[in-house]
Amino acid sequence: MIIMKKLYLFCSAGMSTSILAAAIQNVADSHNLDIEVKSFSEKDIDRIVKEYEPDCILLGPQVKYLSNSISKKFSSTRPVMVISSEDYGLINGEVILKKAILRMKNFEKEGRK
Amino acid sequence: MTENESYSIRIISKVGEAKSQFIESINLAKNGGFSEAKAMFKEGSRLFTEGHKVHMELLTKESNNEFSNLSLLLIHAEDQLNSAETLEIIAKDFIDLYEMVNSKIITKG
Repeated sequence: MIIMKKLYLFCSAGMSTSILAAAIQNVADSHNLDIEVKSFSEKDIDRIVKEYEPDCILLGPQVKYLSNSISKKFSSTRPVMVISSEDYGLINGEVILKKAILRMKNFEKEGRK
Repeated sequence: MTENESYSIRIISKVGEAKSQFIESINLAKNGGFSEAKAMFKEGSRLFTEGHKVHMELLTKESNNEFSNLSLLLIHAEDQLNSAETLEIIAKDFIDLYEMVNSKIITKG
């Protein structure tokens, strides 16, 4: 059974990331992938992760400085990835989605060991 | 994606990362990593300048009456630009300050 994967994006306000989330969602939908992409503010990250248990956490380049503390908290249960400012600036939904899927696959592989 | 959105996102991605670098550089200096902090600060300044250039492009367009759409996203981009600019000044001072404090502690100890 294929379970829907949740790809959640976090940035400082959840504002610019919402455009990126829509772009990634578009790419996922056009490839018929069962993936849900949503964006939030990093201030809500603890609550959101606990409540919705995303399969992958993506951070905007503007909150890169939080990646250490967020990785410490959540990287044992799910991959945490920082979006590069190049991909972010070009709203490169396809590249970001590919990177995220790769990270999730690698994470699952390592988890099964 | 509209032209407005594309400009806004380009600004946000550059100055947003710059902002993150400035904060990280303060943290590095706090833990005594001054050369890393300074390198991080320099990278932040470079990114900030890049973001600033995009903003400048937009200002030029507006003054030529080629651009008039004001969106909340663009205001958000300028907001990020502003806070990054403030943090640049603060980070520079903080790195110097931590370095001074550090050398005082070493000479006293």
